Order: sequence, then C-alpha cells, then structure tokens
Amino acid sequence: MLAAVCVACAVLPLLAEGQQPRASEYQVKAAYLFNFSRFVSWPAQGSGDASAPFSICVMGKDPFGQVLDATVAGENIGGKSVVARRLAQAEQPSNCRVLFISSSEESRLREILAALDKTSVLTVSDIAHFAERGGMIQFVLQDNRVRFEVNLASATGAKLTLSSELLKVAVEVRKGAPPGQ
Amino acid sequence: MSLAGKLTRMNLLVTATGLLLACAGFVAYDFVTIRQGLVNNLSIQAQVLGSSSVSAILFNDRASAEHTLAALVAAPNVVSACVYTPDGRPFARYRREKAAGIPDQAHPQPGDVARHWFEHGNVLVLDPIVFQGNPAGFIFIESELNAFWAQIQKYLVISVLVLLGALLVAGLVSASFRGAVLFPIQALAEVAREVSEKRNYSVRAGSDTPAELKVLVEAFNEMLAQIELRDRELREARDELERRVELRTAELAAANKELESFSYSVSHDLRAPLRSIDGFSLAVLQDYGERLDAEARGYFERIRAATRRMGMLIDDMLNLARVARAEMRRERVNLTAMAQAIVADLRKTDGSRKVDCIIEENIVADGDAHLLRVALDNLLGNAWKYTSKHPTARIEFGQAQPNGHRVYFVKDDGAGFDPAYAAKLFGAFQRLHGSSDFPGTGVGLATVQRIVQRHGGRIWAEAAVEKGATFYFTV
Repeated sequence: MLAAVCVACAVLPLLAEGQQPRASEYQVKAAYLFNFSRFVSWPAQGSGDASAPFSICVMGKDPFGQVLDATVAGENIGGKSVVARRLAQAEQPSNCRVLFISSSEESRLREILAALDKTSVLTVSDIAHFAERGGMIQFVLQDNRVRFEVNLASATGAKLTLSSELLKVAVEVRKGAPPGQ
Repeated sequence: MSLAGKLTRMNLLVTATGLLLACAGFVAYDFVTIRQGLVNNLSIQAQVLGSSSVSAILFNDRASAEHTLAALVAAPNVVSACVYTPDGRPFARYRREKAAGIPDQAHPQPGDVARHWFEHGNVLVLDPIVFQGNPAGFIFIESELNAFWAQIQKYLVISVLVLLGALLVAGLVSASFRGAVLFPIQALAEVAREVSEKRNYSVRAGSDTPAELKVLVEAFNEMLAQIELRDRELREARDELERRVELRTAELAAANKELESFSYSVSHDLRAPLRSIDGFSLAVLQDYGERLDAEARGYFERIRAATRRMGMLIDDMLNLARVARAEMRRERVNLTAMAQAIVADLRKTDGSRKVDCIIEENIVADGDAHLLRVALDNLLGNAWKYTSKHPTARIEFGQAQPNGHRVYFVKDDGAGFDPAYAAKLFGAFQRLHGSSDFPGTGVGLATVQRIVQRHGGRIWAEAAVEKGATFYFTV
C-alpha cells in the first residue's frame, strides 16, 4: 500500500502542475484500481476457499503492464493477498473481485456485463459511458486529472457496498438503472 | 498578642492554608486536565477529519478534502487546519476568517507519531492518518486557547471568592468557639486575681477544665492549699511566740518584782544595821567622847567612816541594779546643759579647787535623760576626783565624729591609769587605785557602761599614768 501511495504521491505533484505524461496515467489508474477495493465491501461468500487471493483481473488488452503488479505487490485486502491477473481470451472472470475491462473489449461490453450478472465483481473501465451502460466505476479525465464516475445501482445490484467515502470523491454518482438496461 | 488573638489568627491561618492548597491543587489539576481535554478533543477532531479525508487523499480530490476541513468553521477556536499527504506535503487547507498567524507550521515527516505543542498561546495538534492499518497522510489543526484561559480565570475567581468567604466564616466560627477554649483559662486567671487581691487562700479553681489545663489547675490548687497551710502554721507560730513572750515577760516582770522587793529590802535591811552601827558610834562619840582618849575616838571615827563607805557601796549597788532595770525613754537630751549643771554642783561641793571646765556647746544626744544624767555624773565626777591631786586641772566634755559616728568624750589631765589594766576598768568593784589615793566604790564606771550599753552604744578609754584619761562613749 505504502508503495502504491508513494507512487501515486510521486505522480500527484506532476498531475497538479498539469504535466501529465501518458504513461503515468495508468500508474494512477492502477493505484486507484487497487484503492477502490479498499472502499468496497463484497458479500460474504460461502463458496471459494479462504486462502484464495484477492484477484484484480484485467480483461482484454492490458494497458497497465508492470505497473499494476508493482502496485498490488505485497498488499492485502481483508487478509487476502492481492494479485493481478490477466484474463485470457474468452476466459470467465470467476474468482475475480475486481475486473478491469480494457477499452479493447468495448464491442463486447454488453455480453461481458450480462455474464457478470448475479456475480459480485466490481467492474471498472475507462470505456466511454461505461457507467451509463451498467459498469460500476468509470475512469474519467478531468482537468488533466484522473477522476471516476460511479454507477451505484449497478454496484448495489451486484450486492456490493460502496463506502460513502468513495462516493464523495467520485465525479458523479449515478443511482439510475441496474445493469443491462 | 492575646490568646484570643492568637487563636483567631491560628484558625484563619489554618483555614487559609488548607483552602489555598486545595484551591491551588484544584486549579492546577483543572489547568492540566482542561488543557489535556482540549488537546484530546482537538486530536479527536483531527482524527475524525483525517479519516474523512483518506479517500480524498487517495483519489487526489483536493476539493473534497477542503470541504471536509471546512466543517471546522463550526469550531470558532480553530485557527487553521491542514491535510498532508503521507510524504508530508500539504494537500488541503482550512483557515478561519480573519485569522492571523503563520500557515503550514507542521512539516510532518513520514513516520511521525501523534504530537501536540504550544505556540503563541495556541495549541497545535498533528496526527497521522491511518487507513486500514497503513499511513494515509497527516492532519494538522491549530486552535486558540481562549476558552481554556477563560475557564481557568473563572476557576481562579471562584477560588478567591470561596477563600474569602471561608475566611470570613472561619473568623466568625472561631470567634464563637474562642470563648469556649479560653473560658477555663480566664476562670483560672479570675481565681488567681481574687486570691491576690483579697488574700483569700481558701478559694479553689474549678474542676471542669480541659486536660491540658488540669495539671495547671491542680498545681494551682495545691499551691493555694500549701499557702493556706503555711499561713496557718505561721499564725500558730506567731501565736506561740507571743504566748512565750508573754510568759517570759511575765517571768521577767515577776523576776523584776522580786529584784525590786529584794533591793528594797536590801536597802532597808542592810542599811538598818548600818544606821545602828553609825548611830551608836556617833552616840558613843557624843556622849562619851570626853571620857575617851584620842585613839578610841579615832577608832570610832574609823568605824563611822567605814559604815559611810558601806552605805555608799550599797547605794551604788542599788543604783547599778536600778540602772539595769529602769525603763528607758528616749528623747532629745541637751548634754551640754546637763554637764554644766553637774560641774556647777561639783564646784559647790569643793569651791576651793581651780578647775578649768571646757564644755562644748550644743551637744545633744538621743537617750534616757535620767540615765544619761547618772552616766555624766559618774564620768565628770571621776574626772573631778582624779584631778584633785593636781593644783590645777582641766576637764573637757565634747563630741567628735571620727568616722561619721558621733562620739562623746570626757577628758581630764589627772592621775590617769595604766592602760595595761584597761580591761579591769569597767568591772564592778574593780579599782585601779587604792581607796587611800582616791575614794570610791569601783561601781561608777560599771554603771556608766551599763547605761551606755542599754542605749546600744560603746564606751572605752585611753590614758597614761599621771597624764590624764579620756573616756569615749556612744549612745
């Protein structure tokens, strides 16, 4: 966590000054991706063994690269160690707690989200209108800053509880339609 | 200072000290705890705000953090606040309107623990923000201590008022109890006063006294009892003495009476045969004188002379006895006049003699006139007698003050005496000259000595053979 935050902090003054090398954008997003997990509560799962790691999965073309692994290295959430996984083509995101859907999968978005119905996976993406289209957290860029929108209805539909602390720093919180609509 | 004053002062001092200590203790305790409370409150506020700022820090939402800090406007004593990133850079700030002061005084470093300090009369709190066990930043709040000082001031004022009030009450209470404490002492003093004023030793101090005074009271009563006892003993001794004196006086009176009657009878009984002897001798001389020869007449003359001598002796002895017993009445006596009268008498008896009498003027003495007359009679008579063998004589009577004591003297330039025999001079019937040289019974000087002694004085003499004698005496 310390490493992640340090990375983020190292980046922040650069962000504040307005200089934003594109490569660091995904450093920030990787940090945010990890940090989202800290403000979300998953429902207690009777299935799955307790020793299974906390998986943050990337579906589609991985924009993070090493950054994500570096960010989550050594961290744990709720006692589980955090790992970053890249899903292979057509692999189901079972056992993923957090799923980042790369922009490469935009065309399949509806199917992906439909398949995730009834599961408790936090969906994050920077695909445009992701939140409108049923995604839970959507990265947006605002004043050269990485911000995010939240679709609370989607999250609630997946039985995920998002902390108000998270919601208060979101650019926009949609309480609108559940996924699939 | 009186006991009452001391008691009051002691009470007030005790009260004041106790209260001062208590108030000081309370105020000090309050000072510490209120300040600590303030710091704790501030710390709690900091932590609450800090934990509300975590997501803002993590997601770089400065506006959100500032919005969180803005809640501090509800705490008017907060001057400023700041949220720092975990590496110590300021992230979001709050500043009270019109607040003076220096911003950004915290400079937190990673690894800093929660701390607080005081600057410019304000308290400054810096707390690390911890989120899920990991450091997530720092929060700093600066607050004024006005409320705190106002509270302390209030406490001090209350303390002073309480102190004054308590002192007043203590003074009143002690005034009312003072009497109870002092009453036994005052009662004792009262008894002492009564004893010393009225000399009434039969009073006793009261018995309902506190333990500390009991010893004093008992000792006092014991003392009074002793005094009473001594008093009584003294009186009894005095009465006893008086009784004894009375007894002695009675004995003496009786003895005197006896002596009186004895000397009376002596003078009568002894003289009677003398008169007989003298009378019949005279009768023989008168009636049978022509028939007797000169020798026989001489014998009878000698018998007559001897009886006359004996008569004189008896008289002198009686005199001596009387002098010893006579009542003395002291008065101022003009010795000059007395001496002159005596000398005049002596001249009458023996007018043929040429005697120079120098009598000092204005000699006075304090004593019994009659006895002094007898003494002077004897002394001047002696001087007259013992200068009779000289064709001319010189007799002096005067006074001197060799050491401040007045000494009277009778001086003559007659036969004098051998000083070696001075010790015998005043003995009764002691004569240093034969009766053929100078007539006399040897009682005169003994009488004078008796008289002088009765006056509490001394008599002594200086002389040389044929060079005269001087008799000194004091009275």
